[in-house]
Amino acid sequence: MTETSEEIGERIALLLPRLRRLARSLSRDLHDADDLVQTAVERAWRHLDQLRPGASLASWMFGIMKNAWLDNLRARRRRGEVALPEDSGEHPAVSPVDTEAGLWAVSEAMNKLPEDQRLAIALVLVEGMSYKEAAAVLEIPMGTLTSRLARGRTALAAALSDEARGGIA
Amino acid sequence: MKYDDETLMAYADGELDPAQRAQIDAAIAKDPALALRVEEHRALRARLAGAFSRVLDQPIPERLESAARAHSSAGTQGRGNVLQFPARSARAPSPPWRAREWIAMAASLLLGVMLSWRFLAPDSRAFEAGKNGLLARGELARALETQLASEQSGEERVQIGLTFKAHDGSYCRSFVLRTARTAGLACRAGSEWQVAATDSSLAPEGEMQQASSALPPSILRIIESRMEGAALDAEGEKSAQQGAWDPGR
Repeated sequence: MTETSEEIGERIALLLPRLRRLARSLSRDLHDADDLVQTAVERAWRHLDQLRPGASLASWMFGIMKNAWLDNLRARRRRGEVALPEDSGEHPAVSPVDTEAGLWAVSEAMNKLPEDQRLAIALVLVEGMSYKEAAAVLEIPMGTLTSRLARGRTALAAALSDEARGGIA
Repeated sequence: MKYDDETLMAYADGELDPAQRAQIDAAIAKDPALALRVEEHRALRARLAGAFSRVLDQPIPERLESAARAHSSAGTQGRGNVLQFPARSARAPSPPWRAREWIAMAASLLLGVMLSWRFLAPDSRAFEAGKNGLLARGELARALETQLASEQSGEERVQIGLTFKAHDGSYCRSFVLRTARTAGLACRAGSEWQVAATDSSLAPEGEMQQASSALPPSILRIIESRMEGAALDAEGEKSAQQGAWDPGR
């Protein structure tokens, strides 16, 4: 396999929309989400030799993003910057246009989930991965993935129905 | 037979093997409560996928484009010292949407519609009973025939949602009659639009609803069961319309 750097760069660039979508589902804060994408891309370039031939670049990069996100949360918690779960961001990741389509509500609900459930939900429901692919990215057994997914779904459904009852005029 | 939530979730996510799937298909057909639980899983998935899919269409910040392609700045010096940035127009097209995402998108299109319902006048007759069920008439028939979802202003009294080919090759289109608070699905049969389903349980007057609940589960279910492949994009919709909805063209 002799792929040039340019070709790899092109493949990474092609993944940017999906990387941004995943980041936005993990982080409510718009700038944090793009910082996360940037960190993941830079780490990917640094560790390119660890990408196995024939392996999915997308799955590999999602795994890098997962690690970067968790590292980030841990570091911020150590510095006492962030309460558990993630504190409200300075730059909410939504614009008034997004709000119309319910991204605001969904983002808020995601933000309340524990991080392991958020990751499972993001990979399967938002990114559309199979359970098997998502479990591989998260490096957890299938059974663990499905239980996180089920708990996350229950919590999300509850949060979204509370929000609907409370009204969002 | 009882099914636990994880099994129903896996069913809704398309993760079961054919045998398990057939078993639940049969159970659902007999048990509306079970069908509803599955539908809730699907609706939640559609809502999430739909909400975040907007991000795919947003412009990529320059700094991320650079990070993706500027390999020589990221510790790979020597691998290639040419720092060439491909033209910006070569930017990633969004990956193709799956049926669910299309449905969720169509669902979110309905939101704006509902917000203005209460200001509109009552509808004229949109349906007529035919030999094989309801046929579209009046402004509904005209909209189904000529209106392109990609060119709607949002002000039309009939809103077209998504257009797709059904398993039998015919074209189907989802619609919302704004003034009647009715959503539905119509499929082309000969020179008529046959109304496959309607649901008038949309948004109570003046109440803001979330987009994903806009297309009622009954309609979502029918769309999901009939759709062959993905929904048509703007170009596909246009050429189907220009071909007079003839599946052979």
